Amino acid sequence: MTTAAEASVPAAAPSSGAPVAIDLCGVTKDFPVGLRGLKLRAVDNLSLAVPAGQVFGLLGPNGSGKSTTIKIVLGLLEPTAGTCRVVGVPSAQVESRRNVGYLPEAPYFYRYLSGAELVRFYARVCGVPRQRLDARVREVLDWVGLTGAAARRVGTYSKGMLQRVGLAQALVHDPRLVILDEPTAGVDPAGSAEISSMILRLKSEGRTVLITSHLLAQIEDVCDRIAILDRGRLILEGAVAELVGRRDRQALIVEALPPGELAELRVWLAARGRALESVEQPRARLDEIFLREVARAGDGRKEAGP
Amino acid sequence: MNSMAVPFSFARTSLIAGNTFLEAVRQRLFLFLVLLAVALVAGARFFHEFDFGPDGGVPELKFLFDFGLGALIFFGSTLTITATAQLFFSEIENRTALTLLAKPVWRAEFVFGKFLGAWAVVGVFCALLTGLLAVLLWFRTGAILAANPGAFLHGGRIGLGDIAIVCGLQWLKFGVLAMMTLLVSSFSGTNLFSVVMGFFVLVICHLQAFAHQAYTRVEASSVALGLMIETLARVFPDFQFFNLADKVGTEAGLDAGLALRVAAYALAYILVFGFLAVFSFRRREI
Ligand SMILES: Nc1ncnc2c1ncn2[C@@H]1O[C@H](COP(=O)(O)OP(=O)(O)OP(=O)(O)O)[C@@H](O)[C@H]1O
Ligand SMILES: [Mg+2]
Repeated sequence: MTTAAEASVPAAAPSSGAPVAIDLCGVTKDFPVGLRGLKLRAVDNLSLAVPAGQVFGLLGPNGSGKSTTIKIVLGLLEPTAGTCRVVGVPSAQVESRRNVGYLPEAPYFYRYLSGAELVRFYARVCGVPRQRLDARVREVLDWVGLTGAAARRVGTYSKGMLQRVGLAQALVHDPRLVILDEPTAGVDPAGSAEISSMILRLKSEGRTVLITSHLLAQIEDVCDRIAILDRGRLILEGAVAELVGRRDRQALIVEALPPGELAELRVWLAARGRALESVEQPRARLDEIFLREVARAGDGRKEAGP
Repeated sequence: MNSMAVPFSFARTSLIAGNTFLEAVRQRLFLFLVLLAVALVAGARFFHEFDFGPDGGVPELKFLFDFGLGALIFFGSTLTITATAQLFFSEIENRTALTLLAKPVWRAEFVFGKFLGAWAVVGVFCALLTGLLAVLLWFRTGAILAANPGAFLHGGRIGLGDIAIVCGLQWLKFGVLAMMTLLVSSFSGTNLFSVVMGFFVLVICHLQAFAHQAYTRVEASSVALGLMIETLARVFPDFQFFNLADKVGTEAGLDAGLALRVAAYALAYILVFGFLAVFSFRRREI
């Protein structure tokens, strides 16, 4: 299906030639609210390209339009304006969802089915061949750590277990594109770490992952690229490696530098009018950037006036 | 990699239907059938105490049959409307439709899957009630014959085939009703609205023929009223059509050709309303 070239896309900015898994172009979504024809703009002229084979993080405060964007990608919502394509197929077409796995936010499933029956149902809907069905269902339930609870009704599951069974149904048909809307919400720290490593494994298999999460440390660990939305608008997009590295500072990582040589280095730098500020590795956390950018976007709005 | 199209699939449709049916079963929707069966048997025993006169066998059977059919029509209509709306809205309200429709599933597969699941629930209901009615009638026929061997010399026996045909046609009618409820649900925001509209439609379908007849007989009323009744008669199916019970137990018996025509009438309406429901659901935001 996907070629090796597609899987080995560099983690840097998508060049025009790189295959694109999700292509949003000028997408706007208005929801009618209230009786007087009032509209709420949930997504505002969003253009975004998710490169194939990468892990892409969609960030933003509550109500910034992340889930709405995902629903547009999946064809569950129709954009008011703009176009959305998944591997080149418009989202409105059923074909666009042929190779997509989706975990909705705060998932809720058929309560009257057992965990195994539920995953089996979705596997059959997605056309997993009958002879591989049972093995596949067992395999994904094992991945998400639900083997022990597979025979229990989904109605009796805890929040984190619902999230896990949701992950199982999203992966059961071996999709090329996996869309996870807050996969770690309500999952315990160990489970979160497992989900992180699962995402990295999906990436190593050449799959594309689109993820939203409020756990920025996790996003920083697994994502190649991120986009930050605020009130439906894209306020920042880029490769994580570039965003967290700081351009006005350099970190020299030296193995076991003796104090004497460090002093010499200071002198050497001082002679060139530079100071060695710190001997620690300077590293901005992604959450700092996130908060700064959101605050800046808020200031911009205030200045622009209502 | 995306050249492979996803055609409409009957397998997926029946998967969704099966899951819908399973939901009804696991929610113990059929438990009330037991109550209904008990009530029916008790009712039959009660009528047995009535005095139907010296040649009471024939009217008693007819009465029992009408009583059973009445129960089937009343409870069947109620079950059809409420179960269809409930099974549809449980997917919407619990947001399970979100997960399902994010799979390569056509909206048409969803709508017809929900329809077939709900219709199967009503089908089981009809089959069980019909079976029970047939057994009751068979017992009474035996008892009446034992008391008076000449009781059915002039007809009046109610054959199994006739019972099956009459009840089967009711099931087809429930199919039309289920699809109409689904059509309302496809754009309605709440379960309650769908149920209320479902009953409203049911009443229209039962009464429009009377209104039409009454109007054509009087002829003098306003043009607007005439147009409205004419439109109703064209848009809504005529549920009186499905009522062949009067012909059961008569000497002429049931006309199989008529029954087939009625069945075709029902299937045509199911398809037309089905396409309308798909059309209206196609762009619904989940
Ligand atoms: N069906 C709807 N009708 C009206 N408004 C909606 C609808 N769905 C979402 N919205 C509004 O659109 C905005 C964006 O919502 P969305 O769910 O996309 O946010 P989000 O970024 O996913 O937030 P969170 O982090 O809380 O999940 C919100 O203001 C929300 O109230
Ligand atoms: Mg969300």
